[in-house]
Amino acid sequence: MDTRDPFRENVLAAGHRACAGCGEAMAARMVTDLIGSEAIYVAATGCLQVFTTHNAQSAWQVPWIHSVFANAAAVAAGIEAALRARGDNTPVVVQAGDGGTFDIGLQCLSGMIERGHDVLFVCYDNEGYMNTGVQRSGSTPHAVRTTTSPPGRLRAGKRHLKKDVLAIVGAHHLPYAATATVAFFSDLQDKVKKALSIRGPRFLQVLAPCPLGWDHAAERTVEVARLAVETGLFPLVELEYGTPTSVMHLARQRPVEDYLELQGRFRHLFASDRGREEIRHLQALADTHVAHYGLLDPDRPGATEASVAARRHAWGGYARPRREPSS
Amino acid sequence: MTRLDFAPGSSIAYHTGDWRVQQPVYRDKWPPCSRACPCGEDIQAWLALANDHEWEAAWRKLTERNPLPAVLGRICFHPCEGACNRRALDTAVNVHALERELGDRALRNGWRHERLTARFTNRKVAVIGAGPAGLSFAFQMARHGVPVTLFEATDRPGGTLASGIPAYRLPRDVLEREIDAILDLGITLQTGVRIGTDRDVDCLRESFDAIFLAIGAQRPRRHPDGGAEGAGILTGLDFLHQVNTGSPPAVPSRVAVIGGGNTAMDAARCARRLGADVTVICAQGPHGSQPGHPDAEITALPEEVRQAEAEGIRIRYRLGVRRVVHGGGQPAGVEIARVDRLHDLEGRFHPRLFAGTEEFLPAGMVIFAIGQEVDWRGLDTLKTLSPPEVMVGGDAASGPRFAATAIGSGFQAASTLLARWVEGVTTHAERESREIPAQALNLAYYRPEPRQEPPASFASPNDFREIVPGLDAAAVEKEAVRCLSCGVCFHCGNCWNFCPDAAILRREDRFTVDTDYCKGCGICARECPCGHIDMESLLT
Repeated sequence: MDTRDPFRENVLAAGHRACAGCGEAMAARMVTDLIGSEAIYVAATGCLQVFTTHNAQSAWQVPWIHSVFANAAAVAAGIEAALRARGDNTPVVVQAGDGGTFDIGLQCLSGMIERGHDVLFVCYDNEGYMNTGVQRSGSTPHAVRTTTSPPGRLRAGKRHLKKDVLAIVGAHHLPYAATATVAFFSDLQDKVKKALSIRGPRFLQVLAPCPLGWDHAAERTVEVARLAVETGLFPLVELEYGTPTSVMHLARQRPVEDYLELQGRFRHLFASDRGREEIRHLQALADTHVAHYGLLDPDRPGATEASVAARRHAWGGYARPRREPSS
Repeated sequence: MTRLDFAPGSSIAYHTGDWRVQQPVYRDKWPPCSRACPCGEDIQAWLALANDHEWEAAWRKLTERNPLPAVLGRICFHPCEGACNRRALDTAVNVHALERELGDRALRNGWRHERLTARFTNRKVAVIGAGPAGLSFAFQMARHGVPVTLFEATDRPGGTLASGIPAYRLPRDVLEREIDAILDLGITLQTGVRIGTDRDVDCLRESFDAIFLAIGAQRPRRHPDGGAEGAGILTGLDFLHQVNTGSPPAVPSRVAVIGGGNTAMDAARCARRLGADVTVICAQGPHGSQPGHPDAEITALPEEVRQAEAEGIRIRYRLGVRRVVHGGGQPAGVEIARVDRLHDLEGRFHPRLFAGTEEFLPAGMVIFAIGQEVDWRGLDTLKTLSPPEVMVGGDAASGPRFAATAIGSGFQAASTLLARWVEGVTTHAERESREIPAQALNLAYYRPEPRQEPPASFASPNDFREIVPGLDAAAVEKEAVRCLSCGVCFHCGNCWNFCPDAAILRREDRFTVDTDYCKGCGICARECPCGHIDMESLLT
């Protein structure tokens, strides 16, 4: 057991095998410590499942199950139905990567939401199949270099656009769906708390940069995630029954180059005229998000600044002492 | 257990710390404000206490180095603000207004300085000169239980603070009450005693174990023109002394002030308040006119110049005085000419004027404020001895500088002596001085907040009331929050929140690194707002 920290449960314990600077490990530690150990966690196949269960050493200090890639939502639905039959209100949480959400797990996710199961589905979105060696996924943004979308004579990286999974999920008119990211911790905290206070199917998409696949310095994980929001490429929004009910307003919109230039997966865009055209395309996509969600509202400026402002004696976000398991 | 020999269980058995090639280290830094402060105040520390509304503790922290905060908060040239890292985000923290507020709070609430020891040592010190340097030295010695006798040549303590600074910048009662609080520590003050004239120097050496000479630079420099003496011709210090002791001279309708320092500015503004039309003749150029050559610009503080001009004082730059023109026993004016060169070949300040550019400036009174020198009369035998028996501080050691410099030199002299005499006291030099530049901060974690300024009001003639008010209570709280806490942890918890590897652990009063698991990614250091965390390479 990981009992080193009296102020934090460490649902996801130390000793896991994520790369240094892993955004997904960071995101999962945030989300699971906010939810706590009194929950049942279901994993889809993906980085998080692989690096936390290496060589029969589990980093999970909670009930945790992994079945196959596609069916995490279906497994969770079954667990939830069984708990309900027993009158047990223990929360059920699915943790999946973007592969297990956007692509391989989409059908089971859709079914789980459509049937109204009381499950929180968390997608850690690192925009590709990373632990198998960085292949493109439905979540990989346009023009990104992966091993299966290499830039070359015919293409400047991935040809297609990033799938708008939030809109797909929102089309199910579920009680709550939101996007969040590791860089805006207090925002993530609010969204997890809100999700836990609602019954029915809930969906959280957490952007989690991947130093390996995105090819940025390990120390810049949070900075990259912050820039994804500040450029407008990854808007932070909340949907209730499919309708946007709140957005994170930007203090100012940064140009997409600020975000792109930190990452090797976009480096080819700076090396050719074709690439520079794609940068303009990505800027147009960001501008579309800003306009669509009204991220630059002059009446409500600076939400991004307010959200990350460091507070004196805040002592971090998890003032929940570890509970010793009852014997 | 070897790497390949695993039993089923928790990943906690697997120490990822051996992947690491660099590791985070929590380390306090010494912020630029404190590095710039001539008193060596730990500005970050007392701002942090003010931020937590620990007002009295903040005042005590501040007065460890500077026992005159209400005074310095008003008159200091605040180099701390010029160095403040917050300028990279918006504008510098208004340190001097907060210092003044703490000083005023202490006066309002009657907080008293505390002795650090109940026991008096058997050594005694004498301080010659009760100006800022002498008071600072006496304060430090008395706090540590060393009996102090303070000799002052004039009839009251304060030195230049009392005789040279006009009341509209520093109200008399503020100065007197802060000095009284220092003397309350049990310091013996003897006023009206000029050592070297009224009392022999050598008898001091017999009765005291050490002597601190803080006699200031009180002798005004003279203009080379032999005619620059007589009725209606004053030095800046004399003029200010007369004004500040309540017997101002009658001023004619036109007054010329010669000089570009703060004394010149004070004299000009006092003359203006006494009803005169005032022209300042300054050999240097205006602020900002000579980039890279601060010697060639007016030395008075920009805000002093701004306020003087707003009060209707004319400042004429790059002009020098050739002679005083007399008429009927009184000055009729001065002959001024354009400055050719400011410094002579040895680099001394000695303006040379262009022939043929002379003009006549009418003035019934001429005030020369062209610098001061140390008056060593009667003290020459002390000058030759070495410390610790005799130490020299303040303007007497450095030439005319600032009150803050004087207070700093008093502290340094005292800590040098105390380190030899009192167990557990270290010298001032032993402070770790790792720099923390603005680039080492992560400014994303601070919100721009406007600097709180008191509303400035400009004087009407003959009004010597204080012109710059303090901040109101709400503004004080808003301003204290603006400190970035450069290099010093303020427990925001970013490192703990962001660590992907559960390698940052929270303890009751701090965060620590668990090196068994830290993979050395560097996120904690990068996302630390205040640059408290360093990454140290483990590669050799």
